[in-house]
Amino acid sequence: MTDTATLERTCEGTTASLELTHALTQTLYREARLLDDEHYKAWASMLAEDLHYHMPGIETRYRRDKTEQVTDLTRMAYYNDSKPEILKRLSRLETGTAWSEDPATRYTHIITNVEVELTEKADEFRVYSNFYAYRNRNERDEDSLIGNRIDIWRQVGNSFQLVKRRAILKHNVMLSKNLNIYV
Amino acid sequence: MRFERIGREPDYSRYMDLKEGWLDRRIFSDADIYEEELYRIFARSWLFVAHESQIPNSGDFLTTHMGEDAVIVARQPDGSIRVMLNSCPHRGNKVCFADAGNTRRFVCNYHGWAFDTAGDLKGMHEEYCYDAGDIDFKNHGLKNVAKVGNYKGLVFATFNSDAPSLEAWLGDFRWYLDMILDNEEGGTEFIGGCIKSVISANWKFGVENFIGDAYHAGWTHDSGTRSMNNGQPFPPIDMDNSYHASVNGHGWEFGTEGVGDLFLLGRPKVMDYYNKIRPKMAERLGEMRSKIFGSVASASIFPNVSFLPGISTFRQWQPKGPMQFELKTWVIVNKNMPDDIKEEVTKGVMQTFGPGGTFEMDDGENWENCTTVNRGVVTRHERLHYRCGIGRQIEHDTLPGIVYRGQYNDANQRGFYQRWLDMMTHDEFGKMPARPEPQLGNVGETRDLPGLFAL
Repeated sequence: MTDTATLERTCEGTTASLELTHALTQTLYREARLLDDEHYKAWASMLAEDLHYHMPGIETRYRRDKTEQVTDLTRMAYYNDSKPEILKRLSRLETGTAWSEDPATRYTHIITNVEVELTEKADEFRVYSNFYAYRNRNERDEDSLIGNRIDIWRQVGNSFQLVKRRAILKHNVMLSKNLNIYV
Repeated sequence: MRFERIGREPDYSRYMDLKEGWLDRRIFSDADIYEEELYRIFARSWLFVAHESQIPNSGDFLTTHMGEDAVIVARQPDGSIRVMLNSCPHRGNKVCFADAGNTRRFVCNYHGWAFDTAGDLKGMHEEYCYDAGDIDFKNHGLKNVAKVGNYKGLVFATFNSDAPSLEAWLGDFRWYLDMILDNEEGGTEFIGGCIKSVISANWKFGVENFIGDAYHAGWTHDSGTRSMNNGQPFPPIDMDNSYHASVNGHGWEFGTEGVGDLFLLGRPKVMDYYNKIRPKMAERLGEMRSKIFGSVASASIFPNVSFLPGISTFRQWQPKGPMQFELKTWVIVNKNMPDDIKEEVTKGVMQTFGPGGTFEMDDGENWENCTTVNRGVVTRHERLHYRCGIGRQIEHDTLPGIVYRGQYNDANQRGFYQRWLDMMTHDEFGKMPARPEPQLGNVGETRDLPGLFAL
């Protein structure tokens, strides 16, 4: 992981070209569509082999409290996964006995506020975005998961692979019974 | 001290017959019964509030709930731990809004009333507005709970001044608890942070699931088991050498094969670690407990804490009304584990029993639908079946408690609801029957005792 660009959030990054920004924005939209449609194999093909996918748990703490909640990977997290670990989670859906996915959950991922920045590596790009992931299942189950993402995407030929993602869900108490969703 | 609702004298024994093995569904949704649970169970029991490792230093605090009462748990300068209502005695506002942190004072946002970490009132904004005789500082601190206790790192508190000692409350269940709290030199700690989620179900469904329901695991969690272990199904259950043990409403269901839950965690390095320390564990806890630890097992401490020894999820089901609870999840590890094993355990727990975990995902929906469907006005009058294994009680020369053979059983669930009924019907705590009579002493000795537990 040390060989890839960092997820550090900057105020003065170098904005990528219009063409590159368009290409990566379209990549995010494509990813969102694959997740909406539960095309997880196709989604997995967008993930780099050295992926780190992280969604930390966020405690409510006073401003003076400098406990590092986001980047300390030893703390509790919804996701703190490598690619093989993501694939393990996804394999549950192929067993035919994932009862709480049948009937299927209905998903919509809305991705906004996309910014693309150049990094210290020529083939890797830092991509900021916001997500609104809506779920509805059975009769009245519904919830909304909203937050920010910082990604590193790597150009491989004419397409891009996700190398790092940090998704910050804004919930303290996650207002749902589970998290059967990727954002 | 008694906390009572006025005008309530219902006969709770009509809601169940545990000798026959049935429950009335109304206990899972009725608002009056829920209110009474808050008074008679949550305001009177010893309740888990923290692991001592969460607040190691003077001034460290965390906030949590005892029943629906908001409390602060704070480490004192002398190293002791105090638990107090998170509510200002002036107008009742919260005095601490953080989940955790370190402080010298809790200060109310409303009028600036300031309390030290013991809860004593130390001052307020524009103190001159109070004339002599208006306020006695000594009597206007944050209300402390009646008792605080610590069993091998787990901190409990109770609002009930008549409650027995924590050791007596846990009783012989300590023999089992030591398998998770004391299986290695150095004891345990919690990994930093807490994941909280909301499940629209009655709190008792979570507790009873962990106290004894091994039966659901192979079916509900088929997909989770296979995903974590390359398609392999749930490990076989040996009905002759697996058990339910119930002590005063606490319960532990377990096998004796030593590896089932470690297998389900899906982290081979963790399995290797425990297999390596197992001979030492046997010296520490005796042969029997070293074989129980790591097997397919789950446990609950009455009324609302559960854990999976071996998988290492530790959780509390916080009641939020009759049809909702908040699930707080932590990871418990041995303090002396190498960091890479702690990381393996933490990742394993979050991939199995976090909200996005391959096991957890299939539980919540079951409990939610048990709760909402049971509320139907006709449905609620139909009995629920809790009779599995009702004839399999045994006397066992090693295992304390009320023991049943075969971990596919409703025995611990019946033990939990028996204790629930005891607490709902007995006004005087001391008159509740022991279930069963304790065999261990109350002096903190929970090793296998020669002569008492022959191996």
